[in-house]
Amino acid sequence: MSVAPYDQILTLYRTLLVFATVAVVILSIGLVEFVYFEPPGQTTGATAHIVGVFAYDPATGTTRGPDRTTFARTDQFAAVVDWSQLPRDIVVDARWFNSFGSIVGRAGPGTPAELGPQSTVPVIVPPGLHHSLPGHYEFVVERLTDGRPVEVLARRIVLVER
Amino acid sequence: MSTHTYTTPPAANPHSKLRPGRYWIAAVVAGVVVLTLIASSLLNYVYLDSIPGRASLYGLLAVALIALGTFIGVRAFTRDRASRRKHLIRAGVLLGFGVLLWLLVIDVFVFTQSAGPTVAGICALACLPTTAFGLLVVRRMDRNEKEPWRLVLVAAAWGAIVATSLVIWGESLWDATAQHTLVPGPGLDASTAFSAGLLEELAKGVAVVLLFLVMRDDFDDVVDGIVYGAAVGLGFNFLESVAYMTNLYSIFEPEGFGWAAAGFQWYGRQVLGLFFGHATYTAFIGAGLGVARQLPHPRQKALAILSGFLIAIAGHFAWDAWITFFPIDPGVLGLLEIHLRTLIMTGPFTAAVVALLLFGIRYEAIGLVDQFRKEAASGSGTILMDEVPVLASPWQRLKQRLRAFRRGGLRAYFQVARLQSAQLDLAMERWHRERKEIDTPLEAEDALRQRVLELRHLVPAS
Repeated sequence: MSVAPYDQILTLYRTLLVFATVAVVILSIGLVEFVYFEPPGQTTGATAHIVGVFAYDPATGTTRGPDRTTFARTDQFAAVVDWSQLPRDIVVDARWFNSFGSIVGRAGPGTPAELGPQSTVPVIVPPGLHHSLPGHYEFVVERLTDGRPVEVLARRIVLVER
Repeated sequence: MSTHTYTTPPAANPHSKLRPGRYWIAAVVAGVVVLTLIASSLLNYVYLDSIPGRASLYGLLAVALIALGTFIGVRAFTRDRASRRKHLIRAGVLLGFGVLLWLLVIDVFVFTQSAGPTVAGICALACLPTTAFGLLVVRRMDRNEKEPWRLVLVAAAWGAIVATSLVIWGESLWDATAQHTLVPGPGLDASTAFSAGLLEELAKGVAVVLLFLVMRDDFDDVVDGIVYGAAVGLGFNFLESVAYMTNLYSIFEPEGFGWAAAGFQWYGRQVLGLFFGHATYTAFIGAGLGVARQLPHPRQKALAILSGFLIAIAGHFAWDAWITFFPIDPGVLGLLEIHLRTLIMTGPFTAAVVALLLFGIRYEAIGLVDQFRKEAASGSGTILMDEVPVLASPWQRLKQRLRAFRRGGLRAYFQVARLQSAQLDLAMERWHRERKEIDTPLEAEDALRQRVLELRHLVPAS
């Protein structure tokens, strides 16, 4: 009885299928990761009030001038948060992210009552730099569960010009 | 043996039901690409009103010129000699205008805004030799039948110009939506990575799909697929490198280390990541299409193509999503960590595509040697039995060419090279015909034989 010769292309095909299975596993892990850090059903309806983003004087620790959406590289600036409007029993924090996704300023975590005195959250110039790097800066007030941010209660984006 | 003579082999089998189907699919894909580009550009302009948005709109004409020039140029080689030159000139003029317009758009509207045309030009010049080296290496990976430079360059140009244009709107919209709705951190990183993996690999993959559909005669197997895929990836990597270098230059220049930031990007993308990043990912898409090219059943073909895309998307996603899990020390140790990170995260994918390539080369070689022997046994005179061991080995072929060079100089070298190339073409055609994966007529094979015999007369006996 003659047997048809085994076509080696099937080996390539099966190898490709094995790699594709690994790819599906990787993408599934990515999906699980996404759901873990963005868990569904976390919307409480609570919102934080960001009073504004203002020019900041680090010497006095105070803000000045009007609420702004753009700043020069040489400007120092800070967000002002009104923590009093938040429910008392939740844990929150506030963070500044630069355009590379690095944290460049934060307050908390703690309950709104604990954070009350820290209403001004400035952007800190990273070590080794003279001024803030240009790009979009994102300020978020987040609710935390088990030490992990699960809901954004307020958000502001400002531009630091080149 | 046929006694007919042809200026070029007949391009298509008039009775084939496969070829028109392929062309229809290619036309639909090309139509979708053009419509997406138009929609993308208009939406960018209306909603984003950003510098890249305007570049995208004004660049549309450049993209259209390049697409049309490329099409005319590629098809010119299937025409007879008389009209080929005319079509090549037309293609050259269109490509020239397209490239000039595109460079103008890029320089004036994108990079000039952030870093200035001089910096953009220097960055582009810095990336050219490394990308050219990458293309040279990728093309040489095909040990038996190297792909035509025109198609390799078309693939790279698509990656650099068309694919990057295709993803601007999609990624901008996805990322803007994610930034306004998601919690900053790993979840947002994963979302951005899904966006890059899906949209960029689809945009790059379209080029390989179109080559697979339209240039079937030059898309033989998994090896060719990997070559074209990697070429598209290298083209994409070129423009992405220039964009990142100029952007980081403009961000860090006021702090006094703009060139260092740009140089670091150049090293990361054009040296360390030249073969590890986009080239590897899109090579998987090509591998999937190349394997599908030789599979007998439509279901297997579809699964192979889908697999290629899935692996490319997963590889790209893994790098973008999990790169932050490998923090880099700001000190000297960081230099080592950067290399290790690339090796650990992308190395396995590159190793996998190299494994497919090596297996593909071996598989192709076995098929070709079998056909060399059969052609030699047929007594057609195109391949002689004692030529089989020489044709079967790239090293032996090189030695034969060098012997010819010593005997008759460069002219003899190229005569032998052309003869070897024609013999390999003939064996490849026979291989595909035997496997029933070809739709060109038998006359095309006879024309290849005729060409080999003509070339043989030009080569003096060794």
